[in-house]
Amino acid sequence: MPAIAETYSLGLPVEVSKIDQELKKLWQESEDAATRASLINLAVYSEDADSLSKNTQLMANITENHACRAIVIEADCNAKEDRVEAWISAHCHVSGAGNKQVCSEQISFLLKGGCTTLLPSIVFSHLDSDLPFYLWWQQEFREPMDPQLWTWVDRVIYDSRDWEDFRAQMRLLESAEQEANQRIVLCDLNWTRLDNVRFALAQFFDHPASHHHFAKINSVRIDFAPGFRSTAILFAGWLAAQLNWRSERTNAANKFSFVSSSAGKIEVELRERPGEPIGEVAVATPEVEFLVAHAKCGDLLEVSRGKPSEKRMPQLMPAGKNDPVSLMSEELMRGGPHHVYLHAVNRVRDLL
Amino acid sequence: MNLLSEQPQPNPLREGLSPRAVPQPCTIVIFGATGDLTHRKLVPALFNLAADGDLPPAVAIVGFARRPKTDEEFRRDLEEATRKFSRQNVRDEIWKNFAQSIFYHQSEFGDESGYKALAKRLDEIDKNHGTRGNRLFYFAASPDQFEPILKNLKAAGLNQTCKGSWARVIVEKPFGTDLASARDLNRIIHNSFSEEQTYRIDHFLGKETAQNILVLRFANAIFAPLWNTHYIDHVQITAAETLGVEARAGFYERAGALRDMVQNHLLQLLCLTAMEPPTDLSADSIRDEKVKVVRSLHRWSRNEIAANVVRGQYAKGAINGQPVVGYRQEKNVNPDSQTETFVALRLYIDTWRWAEVPIYMRVGKRLPKSATEISIHFKKAPAVPFNKDLHDLNVLVIRIQPDEGISLRIHAKVPGTSFRIEPVKMDFHYGTSFGKASPEAYERLLLDAMSGDATLFARRDEVEEAWAFIDPIEEAWHAKKDAPELFFYPAGSWGPEAADDLLAGDGRAWRRL
Repeated sequence: MPAIAETYSLGLPVEVSKIDQELKKLWQESEDAATRASLINLAVYSEDADSLSKNTQLMANITENHACRAIVIEADCNAKEDRVEAWISAHCHVSGAGNKQVCSEQISFLLKGGCTTLLPSIVFSHLDSDLPFYLWWQQEFREPMDPQLWTWVDRVIYDSRDWEDFRAQMRLLESAEQEANQRIVLCDLNWTRLDNVRFALAQFFDHPASHHHFAKINSVRIDFAPGFRSTAILFAGWLAAQLNWRSERTNAANKFSFVSSSAGKIEVELRERPGEPIGEVAVATPEVEFLVAHAKCGDLLEVSRGKPSEKRMPQLMPAGKNDPVSLMSEELMRGGPHHVYLHAVNRVRDLL
Repeated sequence: MNLLSEQPQPNPLREGLSPRAVPQPCTIVIFGATGDLTHRKLVPALFNLAADGDLPPAVAIVGFARRPKTDEEFRRDLEEATRKFSRQNVRDEIWKNFAQSIFYHQSEFGDESGYKALAKRLDEIDKNHGTRGNRLFYFAASPDQFEPILKNLKAAGLNQTCKGSWARVIVEKPFGTDLASARDLNRIIHNSFSEEQTYRIDHFLGKETAQNILVLRFANAIFAPLWNTHYIDHVQITAAETLGVEARAGFYERAGALRDMVQNHLLQLLCLTAMEPPTDLSADSIRDEKVKVVRSLHRWSRNEIAANVVRGQYAKGAINGQPVVGYRQEKNVNPDSQTETFVALRLYIDTWRWAEVPIYMRVGKRLPKSATEISIHFKKAPAVPFNKDLHDLNVLVIRIQPDEGISLRIHAKVPGTSFRIEPVKMDFHYGTSFGKASPEAYERLLLDAMSGDATLFARRDEVEEAWAFIDPIEEAWHAKKDAPELFFYPAGSWGPEAADDLLAGDGRAWRRL
């Protein structure tokens, strides 16, 4: 079975019109040694040169926990000729249940020339039927947003951290969402990046007796790594949306404020510090500070509460990882709609 | 003071983060803390929850047992056990953090002063660890200790909590040995804790595939119209294991397979398979429907029992090619033991949905393979238009363990010029489709108890109704006159021939596993 490779090669070059036959042959050759599995169609689209090999490697890791039909697309929209090249391969892993090889198939495409017209036809003709379609868009969105494509997408995955103009990008996405009658779930990996820190902060307030602190919060400090300012702002937006804070006009880039429903003012300070995307979050009332900070050992969070000066006994919680495979795995695992994300975005749209 | 647990107000910061109920800060007091269950299952489960970030940071564990031990010694023992039995690797820094909230409390179960000291210690833990007065008492001790423990907990006021806090008790099986003792146990529990505070654990219900029965049935419209006497020929439930009695001879001699497995695990699986759709997913809606199934089980008269229930005991034989001794030759087993290690039953549920649909159950030790599964055998398709009798029924199989999954046997045309029809299998494997390992049953159940979700725990009436069904069978088996025969089967076989005859008489056969 030559195309089932352990390396990250693109596999077997095939004619686009013969992809189905070649895939069938691939599985026939494997006989009983491997089982094909698929729960979703996961297409990844990039216009970066050499993205095919980078994304093939990502897919090899993602499929370890998320069986899918992977469709990896690299587009060179400025190429003078219109041409499509295709490869098929499979990512095989030993299943958790035993020593059986479980394989996800990958179809790779190199599109040259008319990307906009080629993309929907490439995607539509190679979806595994009846399975949801997730599109991981690694580019900035641009007009025209092809309605034909977007009406087929169940979840669009992107990383808003890479966007130069957040508001313009969101407008494009929202128009695509409207085209699809709100069916598309918007999945921002920049939001996924916040999951563990949000979780760690939320747990302080699980007991109803701690809810009285919400009304007393007067300051929030968020330390973010260079390049992750938008992540920090999303975090502030989440607090504002969930605790019903209104934003106030501000001129400072990294200092702004919200007003609570009881007219209390909440000062937010963003500090750029080297380290993890969100290195530390401190939410304070006049009496107590709730602190979530990355532990020195990297993938753990230390959570503690107390007066700023007093000695605390921090507890450890998982911090999650910031690499694309971990973020994608987290996102694919969670599913469901992301209303909270949209509420958070709406609170801080002007700051992003 | 408030005896009942209170429904916590939702935390707005939790919205969208986790679809499950949130576990609350608490102290877990384990009675029988030096025992096997604590070391093999409970503490590894709690550690895994902590390592996955599912446990609230403010959780403390207090081991309560008789042996003298310091906190440090107890932590060391648990660390060793967790490293051995945890489903994930134990990272030093996580263990260290987790272990600082583990304590040991030495006391006799019947010593009142030990509970007063416990109460004081729990108050200190609340103060230092933020556990907020919430207490989860886990009874991992032997059942004969339940009464003194419960009595002393009450005497020390530990069954009650301040407003906004809760006290809950998790009781391990066996929930009695018959209806009278189960009622007695429930009475003893309810002298100290209300039903809402009581969580009777059946780890089968914590298994992913057991929970998936509800999803399969009620989230897939295709099955609903077929799930009744009009389309189902019969149902089989099998819980087979290759293991013998191992170190449980003392308990097993008194219990036997009927009490050990059928009264709880198998009847719970039957309930999930046969229940009506619940109106919602609340604990009581689901348990209301489950209890109706047990209540509707057809009760056999004394002289019908032999024809519908087969009991067996393994004799010497071989498992996986290795010779093994018979049950009576096992250590600590009476050489004339009458204890059954195998039971096969034919049941009927007296409801419209299940009228005249036989449910065959079998459970046994020293069978050729370990497997727990439910199979739904659908009625034969009419002989027209193919002019042939299709002997193989369509079968939907729900594999509970191992190789968790679902398969469906259908008929297909064999490629070729003739019209040959053969059965084929569509197969879904959890392990293939979902890469992520499922949490252990105890992880799920402990989390549910901390969250106040009793859905996967047996309610008093379920337990008592199950005993009411089991008791006449036990009575018949232990009657001095005309007791049904105890059949012997060689270890490594699928049980006594009488079990096969039970189905053969109906023109059916056990599914080949």
